[in-house]
Parts: sequence; C-alpha cells; structure tokens
Amino acid sequence: MDLRVDRSTTDLEPALARLLQAGTYVSIALVGIGTLLLLAAGISPLAGGPPLDVGEIPADIAAGRPEGFLWLGILGICATPSLRLVGALIGFWRRGEQRMVAVALLILVVVAAGVVVGLLAG
Amino acid sequence: MLAGGVAAGAFGSILGLGGGLLIVPLLTLGFGLPLREAVGCSLVCVIVTSSASAGVYLQRRQANLRLGMVLELFTAAGAIVGGAIAFLIDERVLAGLFAVLLVYVAVTMLGGLRQQAPAAPATDVETPPPSDTAAAGPGGDREDRGYATERLPLAALGSVGAGVASALLGIGGGLIKVPVMHLVLGVPLRVATATSNLMIGITASASAAVYLVRGGIDAYVTGPTAIGVFVGATLGSRLGHRISVRSLRVLFVAVLLYTAVEMARKALGLG
Repeated sequence: MDLRVDRSTTDLEPALARLLQAGTYVSIALVGIGTLLLLAAGISPLAGGPPLDVGEIPADIAAGRPEGFLWLGILGICATPSLRLVGALIGFWRRGEQRMVAVALLILVVVAAGVVVGLLAG
Repeated sequence: MLAGGVAAGAFGSILGLGGGLLIVPLLTLGFGLPLREAVGCSLVCVIVTSSASAGVYLQRRQANLRLGMVLELFTAAGAIVGGAIAFLIDERVLAGLFAVLLVYVAVTMLGGLRQQAPAAPATDVETPPPSDTAAAGPGGDREDRGYATERLPLAALGSVGAGVASALLGIGGGLIKVPVMHLVLGVPLRVATATSNLMIGITASASAAVYLVRGGIDAYVTGPTAIGVFVGATLGSRLGHRISVRSLRVLFVAVLLYTAVEMARKALGLG
C-alpha cells in the first residue's frame, strides 16, 4: 500500500477538514448552551450529572434541561472523528481505492467494539 | 472549572501540548474528582482540540490522511484495550503512571530548553499557530513524503501502545505517535505532528466510547471544562506568538514537576 499522498486525495482533505470543523463547532455550541443553562440554574458542576440516557435527550432538550444539551454535545464531539472516517470511506470508495475503504471500515468496527467492550465490562 | 479549562487549553496550545496533560491533574488535585472520571472528561476535551486543529492541518494538507488512517486502526485497538484495563486498575496505580508521564514530559521540555529549540516539542495535540499558515504554503511539505513503509509493523506496535496510554491516562498519545512516525517511518516531524493530531480524535473517541458506556464521563464536569479548553486553545493559538514561549516553558516545567510530586503522593496514599 502506498502511503504517500498523491494528487488524487487533494480534494478529499479540504472536504474532511470542513466536516471536522463543522462537527466540532456544532457540538461545542450545544455544550455551550448546556453549560449556560447549568450556570443559570445554579447547579454546581461538581453536583454529579445524570447518567447518559440517549432516549431521554430529546425530552431534556424540549424541557430546556442542561443535561440534554450537554449529552448531545458530548456525543457529537465523540462522533465527529468517526464522521470524518465515514467521509474518508465515501471519498476512497468513489476513487475505487478498496484497500483504504477496508481500512476505514475496520477502524469503524474497532470504534464500535469500544461500545461493546464497555457494555460487556459493565 | 471553566477558568481552569481555559488555562489548560491556552497553556497546551501555546506550548504544543494537549489539554489532557493538565486537565487530569486539575480535576483530580484541584476539584477532588476520581481519577477515572477526570480521564473520561479529559478524553472528550482531547477530541475537541484534536478535531479543531486536525481540520486546519487537513486544509493545509500537512497531515497524511492515508498513513494516519492505517495507524489509527492500531491506536484505536490499543485504546479499547486501555479503556477496558482502566476500569480494572487501582486508581493509585493510574496516579503513579501519570506522575511518571509528567516527569518524562518535564525532562523532555528541559532538554528542549537547553538546546534552545525554536519549535515546541510535538508531544500531544498541537493547535497550529496562525503564523504557520503562510510558512506551510498551500501544498505544505507533501513532496517530502517518502516513508520507510517496510517498518510499518513496528510503527503499528508503537501505535497500539499510544492507544493504551491514551485510554489509561486521558491524553492524546502524541508523545508516542510523533516519535514513532518520525523515527521509525522517517516521516518529517511537521507531517508527523499534523498526522498525529488527526489520529488523536479517533484514538480518544474509541476509548471515550468505553468510558461513556461505563458511566465514566460526567456531563456536568465535562461541559464547562470542554468549553474552557476550546476557548483557551483558540486564544492560545492566536496569542501564542506574542508571548515569550521560553519563559512560559520554564514555568510549565515547574508546574509539571509540582503536579508530578502531588500525583506521586496520591499514588502512595499520602495525598
């Protein structure tokens, strides 16, 4: 596998850069709203936040509760690098670079395995 | 906490270090948080700074996407292993490991001071200063990229180690990734630093997944800290070139050594 960068990837890199930056800014904005709501409610950050419950996030956001925005932002932050991987996977797929597609898929599988390991170890 | 995050982000950005090295001691020694919870929070902050700076590096085409993705596979695998081990190890052992890491970074920085190296050591997530944009040029140094790919298995092994360290200690792991790419594969230092930044996001998100599922991340603590680190890193990258990095490094080495002593005390059950 040639790991040197060739001209064929030059349009992929700026697209992935935009994806990373957009993901980061949107996620950090959500965390920012959650932090403001937390401070406005007079809750100490050391009070011990509620555990992650993905199903509760929409209801928490609709009710203006800080944990909804905080968890959605944190999940967005954690998902942004994987989003970049999905973007790279699509980009390499379009170029017919099957080896890089396989590498991207394998990394996504390993990241997903982290969730499984967490569940099994819990 | 917000102010501490700003300080950690700014310090890390100006000195070319990730926030992780400072966030974990800040939260454990400063706010009395359990070490594992501090590591979980730090991992989220590391992803924030990594994604923001990796975006810049990709735009400049300084990061090697292909190499980064191949090595990411191994750092992510190491991160899962580290994430699973982290919940089995005694917190005092983790504190001891962190103390060793802090001393190592302090000694490395002291060496850099003696040599009067103009550039910050590429140790962790590095937020590129704005002044670098012009120097890198639109094509970066892509033409220099002829790598010793026959030594890829050794680099893969090093990457697994970087992943384990990242998950155990809540750091980006650039301390290991950059030397591995530079010394083992012959990747130019600047490209190695940029590629390491790209990889850190995936490494930290793989271990953060384990921490998320196991309840090792507190949203109330992570929110203000992540915002602080993001603001601090942004400020640091804009103001860094106006500050005397040398005197800041001397101060930072002192902070690192003091923190290492406190962490060692915690490890020995004295703190």
